Amino acid sequence: MSELIKFKDVTKTYEVGEKKFKALDKCSFTINKGEFVVILGPSGAGKSTLLNLLGGMDTVTSGKITVNDSIISEYNNKELTRYRAENVGFIFQFYNILPSLTVYENVELVKDIVKKPKNAKTVLKEVGLGEHLNKFPNQLSGGEQQRVAIARAIAKDPDIILADEPTGALDSKTGVEILKLLKKQCDSNNGNNTVIIVTHNTLIADIADRVIRLKNGKVESSTVNRKPKSIDEVKW
Amino acid sequence: MLKRKMLRDIRNNISQYITIFLMVLIGIFAYTGIKAYMLGMDKSAKIYYEENNLQDMDLYGEFDDDDIEEISKMKHVENVSGKISLPSLASHKDNKLSIYYINNNDVSKFYVIDGKKFDIDEKGLWLDSYYADLNNIKVGDKITINYEGYEFKKKVVGLIDVPDLVYYVKDDSEVFPAHKSYGFVYMSVNALDKEIFTKLSGKELDDYEKYIRYSSLLIDLDSKDNRKTFKEKIIELDNVNACFNSEDLLSYDSYQREMDEGKTYVGVFSGLFIFIALLSVVTTMTRVVRKDRTIIGTLKALGYSDIRIAIHYLSYGVFLSIIAAVIGIVLGYFLMGNFFVKMEMEYYVVPNPKAYIDSSTYLVAILVILGVVIATLLSTYKVLIKNAAETLRVERPNVKTTKVNIIERKLFKHLSFSSRWNIRDILRSKARTIMGLVGIVGCMILLVAATGMNDTMKNYLNLEFNIINNYEYKLNLSNYGEDALKELKDKYGDNTSKSQLIEFKYNDDIISNNIFVNDSNSSYRIVDSNDKEIKLKDDGIYITRKLADKYNLKVGDTIEWRILGTNKYYISPIIGLSKDPQNQNIVMTKEYYESLDLEYIPDSLYTNKKVNVGKHIDGVGSIQSIDDISKGINNMLSTMMAMIFLIIFIAILLGTVIIYNMGILSFTEKNYQFATLKVLGFSDKKISKIFIEQNLWVAILAIVIGLPLGYYTLSYIFYAALGDAYDFEAYISLLSYVLSAIGTFVMTMLVSIYLTRKIKKIDMVTSLKGNE
Ligand SMILES: Nc1ncnc2c1ncn2[C@@H]1O[C@H](COP(=O)(O)OP(=O)(O)O)[C@@H](O)[C@H]1O
Ligand SMILES: [Mg+2]
Repeated sequence: MSELIKFKDVTKTYEVGEKKFKALDKCSFTINKGEFVVILGPSGAGKSTLLNLLGGMDTVTSGKITVNDSIISEYNNKELTRYRAENVGFIFQFYNILPSLTVYENVELVKDIVKKPKNAKTVLKEVGLGEHLNKFPNQLSGGEQQRVAIARAIAKDPDIILADEPTGALDSKTGVEILKLLKKQCDSNNGNNTVIIVTHNTLIADIADRVIRLKNGKVESSTVNRKPKSIDEVKW
Repeated sequence: MLKRKMLRDIRNNISQYITIFLMVLIGIFAYTGIKAYMLGMDKSAKIYYEENNLQDMDLYGEFDDDDIEEISKMKHVENVSGKISLPSLASHKDNKLSIYYINNNDVSKFYVIDGKKFDIDEKGLWLDSYYADLNNIKVGDKITINYEGYEFKKKVVGLIDVPDLVYYVKDDSEVFPAHKSYGFVYMSVNALDKEIFTKLSGKELDDYEKYIRYSSLLIDLDSKDNRKTFKEKIIELDNVNACFNSEDLLSYDSYQREMDEGKTYVGVFSGLFIFIALLSVVTTMTRVVRKDRTIIGTLKALGYSDIRIAIHYLSYGVFLSIIAAVIGIVLGYFLMGNFFVKMEMEYYVVPNPKAYIDSSTYLVAILVILGVVIATLLSTYKVLIKNAAETLRVERPNVKTTKVNIIERKLFKHLSFSSRWNIRDILRSKARTIMGLVGIVGCMILLVAATGMNDTMKNYLNLEFNIINNYEYKLNLSNYGEDALKELKDKYGDNTSKSQLIEFKYNDDIISNNIFVNDSNSSYRIVDSNDKEIKLKDDGIYITRKLADKYNLKVGDTIEWRILGTNKYYISPIIGLSKDPQNQNIVMTKEYYESLDLEYIPDSLYTNKKVNVGKHIDGVGSIQSIDDISKGINNMLSTMMAMIFLIIFIAILLGTVIIYNMGILSFTEKNYQFATLKVLGFSDKKISKIFIEQNLWVAILAIVIGLPLGYYTLSYIFYAALGDAYDFEAYISLLSYVLSAIGTFVMTMLVSIYLTRKIKKIDMVTSLKGNE
């Protein structure tokens, strides 16, 4: 399988007052195309920071990030915007869907930014929201809201889906449903879609193709799971 | 799709957008309205002057048909119209009429409302249309007129307006036209009766037609630019006593002044309105953008470019302010503009008056919208420059360590917790504090200026009617013999005055002015700048301080002057400065006047005895009662009061919105801190106190700054609005200051208290989590 993402000595420093704080410290790893990746680590380990850098939402202090042979860590603002629009689908812990748009409109929104988005209705049916098209976010449960966010990410038809603790705010049963959706997305398109999930739930590691462990801003390990379990095999 | 978001967001937060909408609407409404009104006054009159051929110049003297013929042939002259004005007023029932005879109507043409055009062979009369309307007189009616005891009955053949009588009053000292009790009549010179001729000339002649002399000529030149050349030639003629440009006409000048006054309102008030409106847009949009922070982050993460996000947030304010601007312009123009123009036309006579709108109005609207754009861009920019990850992160107050020196720190320790909190908070969010401060100061200025305007007018009325004018009736004398005067003096007392047109030298110029010879024994008082009566001395002249200012004169200087139409110059020393709100002129005693070998022939007599205003008295052209004059002025002031109430109302409205906005804004910023305080165990009441205390400080500071600024604004209004002829001092009573301060203060407190309800609603969990 071909190499899709490469982190090389990536460091991210925050300045708090006079002090400098390394949220990421010389992180290096690679991710292949089509992998279902889980990034594990305790709170404050730098998981979100890493995902933000990968999603083109933040810039590195030093080091190099390569995606699809392009060095995105050297992108300017405009290139980053295009990268975010065309290559990445982002899913947040707190869903971040627009409260004043309906379910359908929240997904249809991507028409504004992507040239060839997937049909919003079809995608919403896929995630099981076919019945709720005209509801507003505050009329949905947390799990349903996260599905909207997933539908929005999928509708962009991106190469990479990044999810930052997508199940963090959900009960475990709903969480499983969400994971299934993400896994399904990873397996579609002939296994060419890459999904990267950040979590501190170690159980999720069992279903991943690759597990990257972070601690104190450093990559502890990046291991390939020879035999990932299917979601139903895992006891949640 | 974002458009839909915008529309829904507006609908869901309608109250906050209504404030933006209203602010812009009110600002532009006020500006357009006042501007359309001023422009309407200006243009309506200009069109009227143009179409009805207002004279370019007036010649005064004694002219016969040959003179007219001769002047008509002079270079640049296009038309000449001869006019005889009867020196005293005629009576019709209890009312007064000015009577004019003309030989043609080529200059200052009638605007015929009803009936026929001017016809030299017509024996009937043309009547003032306002007078006719208010007295229910129609074309075809016959009216009986009494001129100095001679009664004649004539048919009304036309109802007219005349461009050189846009403004006309019975007497110069009457400010306010009363169209029901005073009007004008025009007749053909061929309709001038023998009896009238006799009264005019004192001669009884059978072939009197040959001896009719015109008292003035209305001159129409090919171009106004040639007035100077014409004037130089005409002044050489023996029978020309004086020569005036049309701008010097009482009618033209009064109308012009009314407009100048309005122009200052346009500037000062609508400027302030618009400024405050913009301020509230800034605060609201900052708040909206701040609240939408996570959404902006999400949109960024989705791949929206910064520009598109900025445009999206622009669309809120711009969309609303465009609608508001359009409505403001339409309403301002149709409602306010036309309303004020119509209101003015109760006193001024201009046919077809209407409000006008010009490109400056559109420009101002565009500038306001542009202001909204810039304001929104600035507030959006602050969020947009951060990268997406940072935007999405919970906003923590960025605690800058403010460097306070040791002395301050010691002081600091002694302050209460809430004071310390508030000092830190104010230092930390300077921009917001300044914005709120400016808003409240603006509101304070409006209140002080508006209430002060009322005080100034009251002060003026007091000066005019309790100090200067000290009589019940003023008799305007005309055409009297020695005996008649003696009889009048015996009956009504020997308190008289005389006004005399003069010219004085100033550098290389000759300036027209008038002297007021005062022999009224304090019936008409001359006052100094402290409103105290000056006991006039007989060894020189007094000039009003405004005149002194204008021509750099001071006590001890001399003035070289002559009576208009003569060549003998007098040199008089200035022995004092006086103050007069309405006339800037020169004052002297009868004794000094006579010491120059000039004959004192009074033209006014003041009395406190009861006078029958309706009855004709020999030697008296017209009678004014002080009540009429004050009624007229009070009437005019009532329109001003309406304006003042409008301003106060808008000031309060604007002030409330600004303070509300500022409060809401600080709330959004402080949500996190308040939640923390709550978690720490502070009671809602204590937190409310902290919040109110801060707004209180800002309000007090704003009031302190606003008081003097309000005074300066008012002074500027009176200085700029009223021309050289007036000398009004801005006067603001202590009560007005106090009321404005209390008003602003109470308003701030009420809004703050209203806002503290929100403290109870702060949900500690979600506020601290930061993700909404
Ligand atoms: N903007 C910032 N400024 C300062 N410190 C930050 C900022 N963002 C993150 N950090 C710090 O960097 C570390 C890693 O944060 P994060 O990547 O969010 O951790 P997590 O693994 O829980 O997602 C944390 O200690 C956090 O406090
Ligand atoms: Mg995180």
